[in-house]
Amino acid sequence: MKSINGKVLPGDLTHYVVPDAEVVLNYLEVLELVELQGVVFTQTACQALHNKGRRFYNRLRNLLKDPRHDCVLFANEFQEFSYCPREKGESQEKWQTRCVYAAAVWYYNHLAGMMNLVMITEDLDAVSRFSSLNSGVYVISLQEYLQSFWPALQAAQDLYGSVRQALQEKEADGSQREFPEHLPAQVLEAGIKSGRFVQGILNVSKHRAQSEAFVTSDSLSSKSPDLSAGVLVAGSKSRNRAVHGDLVALELLPKVEWRGKVTALSEGPADERSGNDDEIQPMPTGHVVGILQRNWRDYVVTFPPRDAAQAQSRAAQRVLAVPWDRRIPKVRISTQQADALQDHRLVVRIDSWPSTSLYPNGHSVRVLGRAGELETEVQTVLVENCIHVPPFSEAQLREMPVNSPEKPWAADPAEAAARRDLRQTHLVFSIDPRGCEDVDDTLSVQRLAGGKLLELGVHIADVTHFVREGSLTDLEARSRATTYYLADRRYDMLPAVLSADLCSLLGGVDRYAMSVVWELDAQSLAVTKVWFGRTLIRSSYQLHYELAQALLNGEEVQVPELARLDPEERDTKLSELIQALEMLTHIARHLRAQRDRGGALELEGVEVRAQLDQDKNITALVPRQPLEVHETVAECMIYANHWVARKIQEAFPYQALLRRHPQPRQELFSQLVDTARARGFSMDTRTNKALADSLDRAVDPEDPLVNRLLRMMATQAMSQAVYFSTGAQPEDQFYHYGLALDRYTHFTSPIRRYADMVVHRLLTAALQQEHGGQRAAEPGKPPAGNKDMEELAEHINSRNRAAQRAQNLSTGLFQCLFFKERDPETDPRCVADAIIYSIRDNGVLVFIPEYGVKGPVYMRNKEGLVVTAGPDGTCEWQSGSVRRYSDHITTTSGCGSATFRLFDHITVRISVLSTNCHADTLTLQVISNQPHLGATPQRPGSPRRSQLVQEVVRLAGEAQEKAARRPELSKEEREFRQSRTPNLYSLLEEIRELALMDPDAAARAGTVTA
Amino acid sequence: MAGLELLSDQGYRLDGRKATELRKVQARMGVFAQADGSAYLEQGNTKALAVVYGPHEMRGSRSRALHDRAVINCQYSMATFSTAERKRRPHGDRKSTEMSLHLKQTFEAAVMTQLFPRSQIDIYVKILQSDGGNYSVCVNAATLAVIDAGIPMRDYVCACTVGFVDETPLADLCYAEESGGVSSLALALLPRGGQIALVQMDARLHQDHLETLIEAAMTACKCVSKVLDEVVRQHLQETSVLSR
Repeated sequence: MKSINGKVLPGDLTHYVVPDAEVVLNYLEVLELVELQGVVFTQTACQALHNKGRRFYNRLRNLLKDPRHDCVLFANEFQEFSYCPREKGESQEKWQTRCVYAAAVWYYNHLAGMMNLVMITEDLDAVSRFSSLNSGVYVISLQEYLQSFWPALQAAQDLYGSVRQALQEKEADGSQREFPEHLPAQVLEAGIKSGRFVQGILNVSKHRAQSEAFVTSDSLSSKSPDLSAGVLVAGSKSRNRAVHGDLVALELLPKVEWRGKVTALSEGPADERSGNDDEIQPMPTGHVVGILQRNWRDYVVTFPPRDAAQAQSRAAQRVLAVPWDRRIPKVRISTQQADALQDHRLVVRIDSWPSTSLYPNGHSVRVLGRAGELETEVQTVLVENCIHVPPFSEAQLREMPVNSPEKPWAADPAEAAARRDLRQTHLVFSIDPRGCEDVDDTLSVQRLAGGKLLELGVHIADVTHFVREGSLTDLEARSRATTYYLADRRYDMLPAVLSADLCSLLGGVDRYAMSVVWELDAQSLAVTKVWFGRTLIRSSYQLHYELAQALLNGEEVQVPELARLDPEERDTKLSELIQALEMLTHIARHLRAQRDRGGALELEGVEVRAQLDQDKNITALVPRQPLEVHETVAECMIYANHWVARKIQEAFPYQALLRRHPQPRQELFSQLVDTARARGFSMDTRTNKALADSLDRAVDPEDPLVNRLLRMMATQAMSQAVYFSTGAQPEDQFYHYGLALDRYTHFTSPIRRYADMVVHRLLTAALQQEHGGQRAAEPGKPPAGNKDMEELAEHINSRNRAAQRAQNLSTGLFQCLFFKERDPETDPRCVADAIIYSIRDNGVLVFIPEYGVKGPVYMRNKEGLVVTAGPDGTCEWQSGSVRRYSDHITTTSGCGSATFRLFDHITVRISVLSTNCHADTLTLQVISNQPHLGATPQRPGSPRRSQLVQEVVRLAGEAQEKAARRPELSKEEREFRQSRTPNLYSLLEEIRELALMDPDAAARAGTVTA
Repeated sequence: MAGLELLSDQGYRLDGRKATELRKVQARMGVFAQADGSAYLEQGNTKALAVVYGPHEMRGSRSRALHDRAVINCQYSMATFSTAERKRRPHGDRKSTEMSLHLKQTFEAAVMTQLFPRSQIDIYVKILQSDGGNYSVCVNAATLAVIDAGIPMRDYVCACTVGFVDETPLADLCYAEESGGVSSLALALLPRGGQIALVQMDARLHQDHLETLIEAAMTACKCVSKVLDEVVRQHLQETSVLSR
């Protein structure tokens, strides 16, 4: 066995496999499958891959580094006895094959013949030449290898087949050139340096994918201000084979050829309009001259129905598959299964896009299922966001501690001794939503020193004690970075034994925790001392919000933990608990007031209260009334996060993981300011405090939705809060705009966020550094450097964005499935009240509070008819014209005219526009310019939505006639399984950070995880 | 093609060496009879020939003579066939002038010039094949030649280049590494006392790394000195056997 980089091939395999350079070049994907074990990559193959491109080589490098794959690198050209010099006249391919064979033979002898070696090559000549030379070294083709050694691994064979076909296609392609060639890399580099070309990421417009794309980059705006809004790339010819997300080099066109962006609503995806009449204000326009970095990922495509692909006699057919993401061009795939796969969704990879072809060539990787089925659609959402969540592997689960009735887990005495024991001394309790299973935060509070001091403690589950850095579980958690919440399911970051049991700070059991304990002056509540460290706790009460609030209000309620005690004891314990809760509330009020004084906190304060108005609707779990206890808990958590951020930043000034929320760009607020002006409100957006104040004032007593919409727009204008490494940003950029704190991080939810685990490790390292002398046995391992930390922060940020997108997409998916079941003409639920929040050239954008849906409503349809309103408000289509003003839009026709103003309520009918290849979308049609009759201005919308999810799930279950239909209980189960949201704190926090998402999305996030 | 990977994840360099490994050093002394001292040295594929005349009376203008020590006169040149591209290299181009100057400085620090006032020592070095580290190979060859000429020195002068890639110092760079954008540092050392005769670097490097880089260079130089010592002893043995 050869150990390279610490990785060792397992000894219990039947053989090791050595792929030839050509196999590695072309079929690396097949070798990437985790099931293939014992792969020995040779240096020769590695070099060949390196010559093909850095991207491919990096994939191999990552593969070699990843401990989940059983593969090693053998530097055969550096080994004296396995090196073969190239002979005169020998072609490179032949030489590489010979090298690999020599390496395989050497390796076989090196292992003293104890392990058979299989060399796989696509060179049949080599198979016949080498196969009989050595007894223990077999030489066969890849296909034969897969068939004889891995007959059960159908996925590998399918993948092999599709890659092979794509290769054959490539060889036999035509000649007619459709696109200009890309310029060579040196020319591009020189051009970018000299300023002739600009580089940036290509963003294809979602609504006009065929014709419009933009290139934006950070460097653009700093170099020349007129390019700051991006550069337009119009039409597919000038896009020149660049795909959404690629890093491209552009050449700007002369100013006379500049064009404007189209602002009209495009009428349905099928309708591609050149948009020449609506153009306004030309912007910089360019065309792509070269591609610096492809950014291809796995794409989901749908096979077109049979009639579209005309009859072919050949076995292999070329099919133009339509990607699910409209921004991606159609992909040409050659396959023999075109018939069987009609209307199925598949994962494909793009291989190449030669200049002779209108479409890129690709190959299929795996089949997801029939389009339109729930399971397929959910998988589609995951793949499109690059979310990869296989079940936890056995090796990962083996790392987990055991906690079963036969072998209950108990705290290790040695470990317990090293920790501060709070079991006897502190009254620890948790406040969470009802039924929550993963409790990651608990609180304690008590009086010290005869009442002169107060001690406040926040105790967070000590996940990093169980998940060692670099272990398989840690790697998996790192690659997931967060728990993913979809509308109907959840993918955990950590195995259930940790997330719901050992790390969960349940009542009445011993648990490890990571604590922050403050000593406060009882009068002024100023911090006199703060202590961080690992502790052992036993939570005495597992309260839920309603119960805690009821206790505070002095109501007579049953505390389950006290039910069995005799009355006298119960009373003392109860008063003890109530006293603690009161103290906690007192402290939290003070903290909040303190931050208010610090300035700027009004924004989130209001934000939260407004949010609560919606939150009460989110689930049955969250109370109808915003309870003060929510804020109390949230306040303590923010305080803990803030203090931990200070601690780790001081200990590691250049490599601490913090979270910042950058100042929004003022120009992004222009829509908000204009819209508010239409209603007579003025917005001051200069600072977060000013913005919060103006939002506060912008209340229309008759229509609470106005304020909600304005807040939504304000949050949309803000950028997202992001993680970063302190070494990568100047200190004045650490500021958290939403929370108005100079330093902030995430510390309190390590069960569902990887960032918190990193912060826990940093804190541990900081503490060890401090007590270096005392615990010499365990010297503080320095945490990762700034570069690694910044990379990690980037990764977590991108995963969080993906999680967010996946959540929104899956909510949208369920909305569509819900309305698909109903007939829009007859079902009353398909008619809803909507409010106009933006005016466009040929229509308006509306928000439907009842379902939380936003969408366009057209005032002019494809035939050129416009909407007119009858005397009773009913709308009809008539021929006429549309005129747009800044705050309203007017349609004129033979029967008169109708005007739609900002913030008008109208009635719309919701129907589903089904497309085979893409996600279904909701279409809204105006049926009356009066508010919907049944509509109360703010009807609880969200419970509706959680029902909606359940209903869709149920229907899908029935449709598939699954034997294992969810039992009656499943509603509770689904609702109470886990507390992500439930943890109201997290909800509040998310909102505050905010602006992170728009309140609407936040509300959805709530629903989803309830 | 993508850029070269100078140090692989497995810790190998382009030519299969580890980071601190030197190229193979082979040398012979006394290759010319008519010169006072001469040596030929190969370090990997870099080959150099050094010839020493002197100490002798000042030639040319006597005014350059120093009254208390000897003048060291160095001349560096490259053969037309020494690089991949065949190129006529006239004497006195900037690069070789600079290199000559560096050599001169190095040997002024090592040779006991005060023993030969008003005289001159000529050191001529020619690169026959260039594969990176020209300066250090020249220094090493010239050291042997000076020893062959019997001129007293304080110590061997050993030189080595080091580069810095991925936070790791690489010893004895070859041509591909030197041209691959590594920031390289050349250092000439009197190994026994650990005195530095010359350090030369014209790339950018973070100050924090300089310490480790010089450390690595000194270790490499000490390794070179062992080889040179071996060569000298071997040579002495051979010549004394012959003369016996």
